[in-house]
Amino acid sequence: MPSSTTERGAGPGTEVVERLTAEWAEPPTLRGWFSTVDHKRIGRRYLVTAAVFFGFAGFSALAMRTQLAGPEAEILSPGEYNQLFSMHGTAMIFLFSTPMLFGFGNFLVPLMVGARDMAFPRLNAFGYWVFLFAGLFMWASVPAGAAPNGGWFAYVPLTDERHTPGLHLDVYTLGLLFLGISTSAGAINFIVTSLKLRAPGMSLNRVPVFVWAIVATSFMVIFALPVLNLDNALLFLDRRFDTRFFDTDRGGNVLLWQHLFWIFGHPDVYIIVMPALGIVSAVLPVFCRRGIVAYPLIVLSVVAIAIISFGVWVHHMFATGLPQLSYGFFSAASTIITIPSGLQIFAWLATMLLGRIVVRVPFLFVVGFIVTFVIGGFTGVMFALTAFDQQTTDSYFVVAHFHYVLFGGAVFPILAAIYYWLPKISGRMYSERLGRYAFWLIFVGMNLTFFPMHVSGLLGMPRRVYTYPGGLGWDPWNLLATVGAYVLGLGLLLVAVGVVHALRRGAPAPDDPWGGDSLEWATSSPPKPYNFPVLPRVHSLHPVWDPRTAESTGPGATEDRILTDGRQTLFTSELDGRYERAVRMPEETLKPLVAAIGLLTVFVGLLFAWYWVAAAGGALFAGTLAGWLWPAHRTPEEAGVPA
Amino acid sequence: MTERLSPRAATFGGLLLWFAVLGGVLSWTVHALAAWSIDELTCEAGHDELAGFPLTGAIALAVLLPAAGAVAALGVSVLAWRRTRADLPEGGEQSVGRAHLLAFVGLWLNTLALAMIVLGGVAALVLSPCQR
Repeated sequence: MPSSTTERGAGPGTEVVERLTAEWAEPPTLRGWFSTVDHKRIGRRYLVTAAVFFGFAGFSALAMRTQLAGPEAEILSPGEYNQLFSMHGTAMIFLFSTPMLFGFGNFLVPLMVGARDMAFPRLNAFGYWVFLFAGLFMWASVPAGAAPNGGWFAYVPLTDERHTPGLHLDVYTLGLLFLGISTSAGAINFIVTSLKLRAPGMSLNRVPVFVWAIVATSFMVIFALPVLNLDNALLFLDRRFDTRFFDTDRGGNVLLWQHLFWIFGHPDVYIIVMPALGIVSAVLPVFCRRGIVAYPLIVLSVVAIAIISFGVWVHHMFATGLPQLSYGFFSAASTIITIPSGLQIFAWLATMLLGRIVVRVPFLFVVGFIVTFVIGGFTGVMFALTAFDQQTTDSYFVVAHFHYVLFGGAVFPILAAIYYWLPKISGRMYSERLGRYAFWLIFVGMNLTFFPMHVSGLLGMPRRVYTYPGGLGWDPWNLLATVGAYVLGLGLLLVAVGVVHALRRGAPAPDDPWGGDSLEWATSSPPKPYNFPVLPRVHSLHPVWDPRTAESTGPGATEDRILTDGRQTLFTSELDGRYERAVRMPEETLKPLVAAIGLLTVFVGLLFAWYWVAAAGGALFAGTLAGWLWPAHRTPEEAGVPA
Repeated sequence: MTERLSPRAATFGGLLLWFAVLGGVLSWTVHALAAWSIDELTCEAGHDELAGFPLTGAIALAVLLPAAGAVAALGVSVLAWRRTRADLPEGGEQSVGRAHLLAFVGLWLNTLALAMIVLGGVAALVLSPCQR
């Protein structure tokens, strides 16, 4: 396991490094800040912005738990409670989990595949600005008292204009349509980057599991998100223009909303969890000092989950009165999907069993993930059984289940990732002691918050109630959950303190502090703007542990992998990673920001029914897009025309 | 595996490999969509037959035909997996290692797909189509 730059190969001389820096470095100006297209800077912004939205959603949760600490409390009104729980769910799902994991993907995927940037750097910047504006668009509705209030899945007819007047659900539908543009753009970028920009030699059987997970997630986004967009567009049309897609009195169908929502919604659970599982497969082996056990089975699991997750949506609708046989088809898929999920768990356990464990903070969070995710998975299997599901639907048991799945399955891996890659992202080491305190507070707080909800749910407590009468046996479980929420909040605060402490006072991080095996550890901490002075040639699944890959970046590296003539990276073949040609990458520009402002104007105009404002925003967006896509003047050689 | 294949053979082999990888889950997709929509739409309309064909028979077809597709894909994936297994020296031909991984993934994907189709068939055997 070579761990220093010297061991990995000396690399090119200073002249090459200076030329690369001149080509790739962005000016440290205010304009440079707004016009950046560097995947690392954009990735960091995704992480910070998603963390801020997580903070907002977390405070919403604390307010709700305070309200529910005892019976008949009056801290929040029913209306305020409805808005808080709706925004809590919507933000955690759409504004935190996926953008946070896409942030890690943005920072890491080009590094892991040995590229110099994402395939479409400007689209990447555009995706970030749209995400930021969509998040602000939705959160701004909270102080205005107009936040979504129909739950994160906004069932009709509760959410139609007659039952929920006002802007609440317009913010929801338009906000998610706006955000969907960002998520789709990010997904397309990940797929093309992973298929075309991999380092030479990185055939599909040498691709890191994290990259497999991001690609599978991106394909799921591409297939699932249009369905949600359609659903939201139909609801907006019903509310604003009195169409009748969901109006049963006029030939519409309320179950249409549920079908469309869950065709998106169940894959979305895996869209959230899958990259997190990829994080676990990246972090765990490093702290077990060996490669991941059963790599092909993990790849199988990733692909299988990505496909089967599209065939299980009706298990969210087991209480809607569809024919029992229909349930049977979806129950079968819901049961079978546990097999690939279980495969990964056993692969991680085997990796720990066969490895030599080194207990550091990222490893602790991975273990916390395995414990909580298995509990969430266990109750998930219970829901695959129609009879059990019908008994517990809409109770706090469901709330307990999906928090074990989503907090256990996404937040624990995200926290592991923060500690694991912080040295690479920031160039600074974190405090191990602070990190351990944070882990134990979070682990205890999380279980104290969500485990009692299983009991209150089985005792009949319905979800989404702003208060409850005393004497039903629910009081102690609710109090415990509230105490747990504050312990959990304290733990998360310690994580934030730990990150700030590392950034300000942390010791300088070496290039590869953990002895990792994937290519991001083969470059400096933090990476230079061009990522790699020499693009490596990959010879195995563990390139950093493989001396042949290290030699490929040494003094004998050929010019076709150094590429100092302008901003360039390599195209390789999709399946086998064979060298194809060098490609030029675009430079920084303000166009993505201007285009995103155009879209923001469109959605604000639509929200307030100022259609001329929306039209002006559309014109700004279209004009910017035209300028963006206008072919640059290039010589025949630059355009790739053979002589 | 060093001999050069004709372009036609390479294209056919590539298509066959993709069938080995995705044939089973495509069959399951057809099964799930066909069986579910036939059952739900016919029952919703208050009928117990589809274009003069008994509903149970139509659902049986939506189970058996996709099951046959999944079995075929499973067979091809087993063959592909066995053919590529013998040629895996460390640092050997990249495409062979990649094809072996894809065949392995296909083998188990097809097995899972077949299991889901069979379980759907079992449900069709024990539940009457429009029972609510």
